[in-house]
Formats: sequence, structure tokens, C-alpha cells
Amino acid sequence: MRPEPRPGPIAAILRGRGRTRRALLGDWIRVRTLANSWPALAGLAAFAAMLGLQQLIAPGTQRLLTAVFLFVALAQAWNIIGGYTGYASFGQVAFFGLGAYTVAVLMNNYHVSFWMALPAAVLVGVLFAVVIGVPLLRLRGHYFAIATLGAAEGAREVINNMTSVTGGGGGITIPTFGDQAPTPYFGKPGFYLAFLVLAALSVVVAASLARSRFGYAMVAVHEDEDAAGAVGINTTVVKVVAFGVSAAIVACAGAFYAFQQIEFYPTDVFDASFTVLMVIMVVIGGSGSVVGPLVGAVGLELLSQFLRVNLGSFNQLIFGAVIVLVVVFFPQGVVSYLRDAWRTRHFSVLDNVRRYRL
Amino acid sequence: MIAPSDVPSAAVLEVRHLSKRFGGLWALRDVSFSVGEGEIVGIIGPNGAGKSTLVNLITGHLRPTGGTVLISGRDVTGLHPWVIAHDRVARTFQIVKPFRGLTVRENVAIGAMHGNDRDGSVREALATADELLDLVGIAKHANAAPTQLSVADARRLELAKALATRPHLLLIDEVMAGLRNPEIESAVELIHRLRDSGITIVAVEHVMKAIVSVSDRILVLHHGSILAMGSPPEVLSDPRVIEAYLGRRYISRRSE
Amino acid sequence: MAQFLQAAAYGVVQGGLLGLVAVGFSLVWGIMNVVNFSHGALAVMGAYIAWLLNIRFGLDPFLAIPIVAAALFAFGYVVQRSLINLVINAPIFLTLLLTFGLSLVILNGLQLLFTADDRTIDTSYASQSFAVGAVNVPYGRLAACFLAVAITVALALMMGRTRLGHAIGATGMDRGAARLMGIRARHIYAVTFGIAAALSGVAGTMIATVGSFNPTTTPGQLTLDAFVISVLGGLGNMYGALVGGLVLGIAESIGGLLLTGTWVNAIAMAVLIVTLIIRPSGLIGKALYSGRVEV
Repeated sequence: MRPEPRPGPIAAILRGRGRTRRALLGDWIRVRTLANSWPALAGLAAFAAMLGLQQLIAPGTQRLLTAVFLFVALAQAWNIIGGYTGYASFGQVAFFGLGAYTVAVLMNNYHVSFWMALPAAVLVGVLFAVVIGVPLLRLRGHYFAIATLGAAEGAREVINNMTSVTGGGGGITIPTFGDQAPTPYFGKPGFYLAFLVLAALSVVVAASLARSRFGYAMVAVHEDEDAAGAVGINTTVVKVVAFGVSAAIVACAGAFYAFQQIEFYPTDVFDASFTVLMVIMVVIGGSGSVVGPLVGAVGLELLSQFLRVNLGSFNQLIFGAVIVLVVVFFPQGVVSYLRDAWRTRHFSVLDNVRRYRL
Repeated sequence: MIAPSDVPSAAVLEVRHLSKRFGGLWALRDVSFSVGEGEIVGIIGPNGAGKSTLVNLITGHLRPTGGTVLISGRDVTGLHPWVIAHDRVARTFQIVKPFRGLTVRENVAIGAMHGNDRDGSVREALATADELLDLVGIAKHANAAPTQLSVADARRLELAKALATRPHLLLIDEVMAGLRNPEIESAVELIHRLRDSGITIVAVEHVMKAIVSVSDRILVLHHGSILAMGSPPEVLSDPRVIEAYLGRRYISRRSE
Repeated sequence: MAQFLQAAAYGVVQGGLLGLVAVGFSLVWGIMNVVNFSHGALAVMGAYIAWLLNIRFGLDPFLAIPIVAAALFAFGYVVQRSLINLVINAPIFLTLLLTFGLSLVILNGLQLLFTADDRTIDTSYASQSFAVGAVNVPYGRLAACFLAVAITVALALMMGRTRLGHAIGATGMDRGAARLMGIRARHIYAVTFGIAAALSGVAGTMIATVGSFNPTTTPGQLTLDAFVISVLGGLGNMYGALVGGLVLGIAESIGGLLLTGTWVNAIAMAVLIVTLIIRPSGLIGKALYSGRVEV
């Protein structure tokens, strides 16, 4: 039985649109209005402001903002794999450390310029992500979280033990003096700029991913992998790519960090508290958006510095208490809470606490 | 009347000696049949007969213990669900699986942007989604969350999601359960319209009235094997089918 | 060969102790699906309590155990009831973060009170050992191992034979159904966490007896070990935790013989990752019930 398909609205839908890339780009340009462009414009303005600010502020504030930019990048990176795709990685610091050590080893042992070492560091990070991602991304929930934590600890141990190459527990130093230095040291203003660009780049990458078809695929994988597979999403590729992009950003951050610190030990760059900070910033800010992690990173890093300066030895304790309180009162993240509260005009924090309670 | 497995493989779907075992239990045993272009084939059977397992095996969500699945002549046995989806096969889930964090419109758009002949941009996919929501009749819920839909509307969403991938073969899994009569009628009408547009349909169903009015052929599964296959009147008057559904005592009482 | 045997014996005895470290962690994870990042912190807390009692009152650590257990139980009960219960239904990493924040508070508090110096509890007998052929078995570790096994068996018996144990198990399998049966889930969860806290406190006390501890490096190591062992032995499986502890203890002991430097630490990680890839439900034991493999 072979009936001829009757032309009609259904057949038209089924046929597909077959538009070219150029046509689509034209569409996109034509649809640009102020309403849908303002986030990009705001971002551009913020970037310009940060650039200009550099001339006006004290070196101490410059250092503070540099740290903020670092964490903005790290938070955005974590959000890609943990927030959107839903695979909460607790081993991101592995990419940070690997990026740092790649740069350090190349510059120290082989006198490679920083600009050549940087892409190598990113490559190492991405390779490691793919290698551990393919087996580990099959795991879910807690298992994935701690498996990645284990991978990070393992990476640190390996680096620690490769004493001849990395200096092992004795640390490694990047040559920065005179003709020993493959690349002249950036100095505080230079690193301010470097980390600002990294932060801006990470926001741009995260934002474009989020709005793209790939971004929807990530969310679909997060929500329901079976349903995602059924509509044609290659869940393995989506997960590994998200993991790899996240790793690339983190490795790049590690590379800059290494150059900035000049000398460091394995425990410095494989410090698990980097990972936890990344996660906390995203969670506190709110994981479903690009703005959330941004707010979380800025807010938390400023808070952390404030505590360190003013409270001395109590700062970690207060920090821990803050984490506990924010998780309990704003489990969906401060930004999401504010957004929902604004929409429904329902601001009760106590009601918010009841959302997830037993 | 088991269909022979040597039907020419120009068939849209062909299943040969398909089996699936879970531990000690054979959910499906040596099932073979084929579905031709433009047919609507219904699959019925008592609970636990293996109907949903069959759908899962065809769409790649489960790996068969034995046998082969061919789509338009190509062997797709054991391939990933997304590969099979890109062979223009779509399915609905018996317990609906919407993407809860997204709106109804976005749910459908995901299929449009990742399926066959996929839309090149999110904007286009959303436009396709609007057209499909209109088609199935839930356009007014486009911006709602999937969890707010009624049972009937949730089923419609599930169908629209599947259609967004522009399939050639559509497998629907118990889409009529819990629907009231007018809803069943509009669902049947929609299925006929889909067939008229060139989609081959395999419908697993429990609601007799619906499956009888919609199918060209019916396949009866029982304890994992095909019990009977043929046109609706043939199958429904087959004593073995009646026995499977209603029990031996019913048969013996009726023949008295 | 003698070295090998010595390492194996050491590994077995150490393994018993590791099992005790893990059993509470495994219980909480299996029953409530909570990965308790503050597990190591609770253990160290118990260690400090025992150490204080020893320094101030000369109390033998083995005698201090009931006190430590009671104190930690109360603490754990309150923490679960007032904090963790509030985010039980939230996505996974929220409980991870909560317990992490908690561990920061506990450990930094301890550090402020006692400084980060290594501490240990000296007893006259702990460092002595007796010989079995060519193998030396230290008394202290042996006692800790026996205690660990005894406690684990007692726990397993409690879970299987008492009303409370059944209530805990039921709540773990199906919280909704358990509540319909009249089980007060919030209380049961709090009791479970209290038991786990008490167990880790006791483990901490044992560790203080046979070695040293501090609030900076010890907790992380303990939590990670507990994790590896729980995965090995199956979540919520008491005996599995013991067996997992033995495996890890022997692996690290023999690994220390064969490998140089700190490669030994990497062993635990490798074991963990391999287990998760091959059989997430537990390499050696089975999970308490596999219906819970929602992870």
C-alpha cells in the first residue's frame, strides 16, 4: 500500500526549510533590535569600563579585580559542564593545574615563549578532558562528581611524582629575569588586562553557547538523556564537548595564573578549594544563566577578600558559614531567587527554604 | 498467522527474530514482522506482553539479545538512539518525558533543531515549533511549563516533539491511555492526517476502540511473542486473541 | 617475602580501621543519598575530644569512646535535623556544598582552638607489638581493628534485627512509603546521620591512638578514603565497607612496598576510578538495594 502523500501543512513542516548559512545570518541581522541586543551592549560597556578603570585604581585594587576576573572565568567554565549540562564536575582544578604546569615546564625547561606555551596548555587541558570524559561522563550524579575529584587528585599525584620534569614537591619556577626569560613578565597591569580578556572571553563563549542549538542540546541532556537521544541529540558528543570547552577555559586560566605567580608547588595549583569555589560561585549566583555565575563570582570573591583582610584567622570559618547559609536559604541561587521573586512578587525567604526540605 | 520474515526489505520497518532477555525473563522472543510504506500498524497485547520493550528495541533505547532491526533496508540493530533518530525514526514515550525546565515551545523546538533536515537556527526551530503546536492543538500553551499541561495536552506535546524531528516512521507508545472519547477521536483523526502526509505509523495501544479505528493491520503480542496478525476484524475474532485477553473460561462459556 | 607478609598483615589491620572510617559514610550515602563531605571533619572532631579527655583527665582513649560517640551522635543529629534535611530534595551538589561548608566551619573552629599542629594520643601499649613468625603486629592497631569489626557487626545486626534498624532501612528504600507507614522520616534521617557521626568520631579516636592527626590534612584524606571504600563495598552495605577497607588497606600497604614516593596516594584514586567505570554498584559488595541506582 503506497498512498501518495497529500500536500498540506504537515508535509510542508516535514520537508524542512533548507536555508543556507548566509540566509540565516541575514535573518539574524535583520532581527536585531535594542530589546534583544542590550545584554551584548551592556557587556561591551562593562568591558570598556573595566579597561578604563585600570588607570584610575590603586595597585591593591588592581590585584583584587584581577582575582575577580580569574574567578569569573572559572565560574563560567564550570557552569558550562555543571550548570547547563548538569554534570557537576568536582575535578575542574585538574585542568587548572595541568595548564599551569604545562606553561611552567615549557617555559622553564625548554625556554618556550609564553605565547607558544599557552595554546599547548589549553591543548593539554582539552586532551585530559576528553580522555577522562569519555569513560567518566557515563556516570551520573554523585559518582561523576567524586570520580572527577579523584581524577584531579590523581593528576596532582602524577605531577608531584614526575620530579625530574616538574620539580615535584619542590615546586617549579618560571624564569622571568633578563635574557633568561622567554617572555618578559607582564607585571600587574599586564595581568589585569590578561585576566580581564579571559573573563570577557569566557562570558562570550558561555553566552553564545547558551543561546545556540548546542546550548539547548546541553540543557536537554541535563533534563532527560533518554528523551534527548530520542530526538536526535548525540548525548556523548554533547557531554564531551561541553567538558572540553570548560576544560579549555580553566586550563587557559591556569596558564595565566602560573605566569603570574612565577613559582608554585603542586598543592597550589591543584588545590581542591579552587573547584569548590567555582561550584559555590555558580550555585550562589544561580546555575541556569550567564549572569548568575558572573554575580556569584564577583560577589563571593569580593566577600572572600573582605573577610581575609578584616577578619584574619576567622575568615575561612565565616566563609564556611556563609556557604551553609546561602545553600539553605537560596538553594536555587541568589540570582534565580531574585528573578523568580520579582516575577511572582513573592519575596518570602522562609518559603524559599521550604522548597527542598524533607 | 505469523507473518513470514522474507517480506522484501523495501519495507519501512522490518523486524527479524527479535528477542530481549532481562535476567531470567524473556520479554520478547523471536518476533518478526514488517511494516510497509504508509501503513498504520497497531500493536496490542495484555500488560507485560512486551509492547514497550519492542518499541525500545526498535528505537535503540535497548539492545536486543538477538535478532535484527532494519529501517528502510538498513541494519540499525543496536545503534544509538540518536543515530536511529537520524534515520527518520521518531517515538513518543509511554510515560511522557518533557524537558521540564523549558517551555512547551522550546520542547518542540529541540526536536526541530536536532532532528532530520534540522533547522539552522534557534529562531527557525521555534517557528517550526509554533507550527507544530498549532497542528496538534496546544498552541495556547506555548509559553507554559510542561508540568502544567493536562494529560491529553502532555501527550500532544510528546507527539509534537517527535514530529519536530521530521520522521518517516513514527512509533507512538500508548498515547490514548486516560483520554476521554472526544480526545480519542481527535487523536485518531490526527494520526490519519499524519499518515496522509507520508508518515508510516506503528502504534502501541491498549485502548481497543482507538486501535481498531486507526489501524490497517494489528499485531497481537502475548508473553513476548506474536500471537496473531492481520486486519482488525480478523484479529479480534481470533479465538486465541480472545482467550489471551479474556481468559479460557470466557471462551468455553461462549461456545456453550 | 617476609617484607611482603609484613606489608600484608599491616594492610589487613589497617584495613579494619579504614572500614570503620567508611561504614558511617556508606550508611549515610546509601540511606539518604547524601555524600557527606564533612565526614573527615567529624572524625577529627572525635579525635580532639578523646585527646582532650586524655590530656586533661588522663582518660584512656578506648574508655573515652562512649563519650565521643554520644557527643558526636548528638551533634550529627542536630546538624541533620536543622540543616541537611532542608536541602535533601535539592540537586545533588547542594548537599555536597552544604557539607563542605560545614566542614570548613568545623575544621577552622578546631584549628583556632587547637592550632594546626599534629596531635596524637600516647598509650603505653599502642606502640608495642607482638610477633607472629616473621611478622610484627602492633597492639594498638590490632585493638582498633577488632573494635572496628565488632562495631560494624553490631551495626549490621542492629540494622537487620531491631525496629530502628528496620525503620532506617525502609526509609532508605522508599521514603514516601515509609512515611505512610508512620515512620517519622526527618527523625530517622537525623538518627542515621547521628549514628554515622558517632562512628566517624570513634574512628577518629582510633586513628589518634595509632598515629597522628591534624585539622588540615587528615580530614580530606579520611573523607576520600571513605568514599573509595564505600564505592568498593556498595553503598549502605556494612560488611562491604569492611571488605572495601581491607582491600584498600592491603592495596596501599603492598603498593607502598612496590612503588616509590607518594605514588601510593594515586593508588586509591586509580582504584576508585576503575571501580566506578566497571561496576558503580560496588566491586565487591552489592549495594544495599539496587533500586537506588538513580545515580
